[in-house]
Amino acid sequence: MGKATETDLPGVGVRFELETNAGRCVGVVVHQTGRRDLVVYDERDVDRACESVVLTEDEGHTLGELLGGNPVLEHLDDAVHRLEDLVISWITIDSKSPLAGLTLAEAELRAKTGAGVVALVTDSGSIPIPGGADRLEPGGTAVVVGVPAAVRAATKLLNESG
Amino acid sequence: MHTAGDLFVIELGAVVLVLAIVARLARRVGLPALPLYLMVGLALGDGGLVELPASEEFIEVGAEIGVILMLLMLGLEFSAHELIDNVRRSTLAGIVDIALNFPPGFVAGLLLGFDPIVAVLLGGVTYISSSGIVAKLVADLDRIGNHETSVILSVLVIEDLAMVLYLPIVSGVLFGGSLLSTTVTVIVSLLVVIAVLAAAYFFGDRLSAMALSQSSEALLLTLLGGTLLFAGIAGRLNLSTAVGAFVVGVALSGDIVSHARGLLLPLRNLFAAVFFVFFGLQVDLDLVPDVAVAAVVIAAVTIATKFATGWIAASRASIGKPGRVRTGAALIAHGEFSIVIAELGISRESDLGALAATYVIILTLVGAVFYQFSDSLTLRVPTRHHRSRWQRTSRLVQGVRRRR
Repeated sequence: MGKATETDLPGVGVRFELETNAGRCVGVVVHQTGRRDLVVYDERDVDRACESVVLTEDEGHTLGELLGGNPVLEHLDDAVHRLEDLVISWITIDSKSPLAGLTLAEAELRAKTGAGVVALVTDSGSIPIPGGADRLEPGGTAVVVGVPAAVRAATKLLNESG
Repeated sequence: MHTAGDLFVIELGAVVLVLAIVARLARRVGLPALPLYLMVGLALGDGGLVELPASEEFIEVGAEIGVILMLLMLGLEFSAHELIDNVRRSTLAGIVDIALNFPPGFVAGLLLGFDPIVAVLLGGVTYISSSGIVAKLVADLDRIGNHETSVILSVLVIEDLAMVLYLPIVSGVLFGGSLLSTTVTVIVSLLVVIAVLAAAYFFGDRLSAMALSQSSEALLLTLLGGTLLFAGIAGRLNLSTAVGAFVVGVALSGDIVSHARGLLLPLRNLFAAVFFVFFGLQVDLDLVPDVAVAAVVIAAVTIATKFATGWIAASRASIGKPGRVRTGAALIAHGEFSIVIAELGISRESDLGALAATYVIILTLVGAVFYQFSDSLTLRVPTRHHRSRWQRTSRLVQGVRRRR
């Protein structure tokens, strides 16, 4: 994940910026008014914004979505939300996983890893708060909650490539 | 049927129209309008081309409102938290700024044989750059994203805060009596300013929520009435109306700010222009040739010292050479605050008005032109790229921030 820096602009707003691997600098100025400036820095004078495009708040969101790909898919792929020590993760159930196709009761995921399954998502729909008879369908997604180590162990069991 | 009222309206209309023409002209050539407003004021009134017998009184009152609105709008740009954070981060730049730019005016004042307190005022005139003009230049030239912009804004904010302490002190000395009573006045007024700023820091949110109204009419009247009343009381206590208005602006925060800006901006533009005209009106045009040499010398010295201030502040923030040139150039423009300070002493020393007006006109024009063309002076010098060059003023953002 790229590292961005943040600088206060008193009376204006905040400037965020990012240096790319290729050595270019890009930034975003978030104004107090909601306006966003998309800024590209000069290669010869790195302190100078050679291009500055003014965006409204909505345009900024749209551009953010374009740059970040489909935000929903992104969630399913790798989004891990950290709440203090609790981690929620979306794990794709690999068909090669030893637990693929088993019911939650048979899989004993909580006993093995300490992580609990709070939802199952398949092509046919989603099951919030699944019971012991619900199956870990290969290709589906398990939404798993636990401490980081437990979620990591669950990810390993369910998704061998992960 | 002719009445005095008709004549007043005609005069005022003519003055405002002249200002309109001047503002268009300034826009066309890409210069700030302020020095041109001052010139219009100089050309009018006593010793000028045309006298304004009917409207001078209104212009005087309007000028007072202009100062209050300018300072209120400036205060609105900042929250108390922002101001305090900023002082913590840029103390050194602030100290360099005072150490380099206050002495030229102060020493010049003494050399010209002014009272010491008037010399202190002239020191204030040379110290303070124009937040209004500089911020507008930065925005107009699309340089808000530049790295040095945070440095420029920090220096300006510290200057504005310094004014909040400086104005009550000089007003206390100027309008106080004996040494003892003056000292007491100054100490009391500083304590009041600090208490009010602290109140703004802790209760600003609640105050703002109280003042907020769905009706823009009610909101405008609340803001205007409240600010005038508070600024007037501050003036009565020798805290200076300007400081009172600034503190009100700082105290307001949250939703109310953007509404207030939209409502007050047209009023501010009108009355600020009136203020500069009024200042010019008070200055006898015949005095200008006498002080012209002094003004040019002081201007030349402070162009150098302001440039040095910017250069030092920017290099401390690891900005490259072209950025340092831009920072130095940006800080040269002086404006509204210099005039507000000079206004305090104009009754003590009539030369101060002519000197300050000439000085501000020179510095604003030179500063604006220099800042615009600063890139073409340095474009040939390539800057090296350091990886962690913003560490001093920037924080690392952990991961990517998501909204909600």
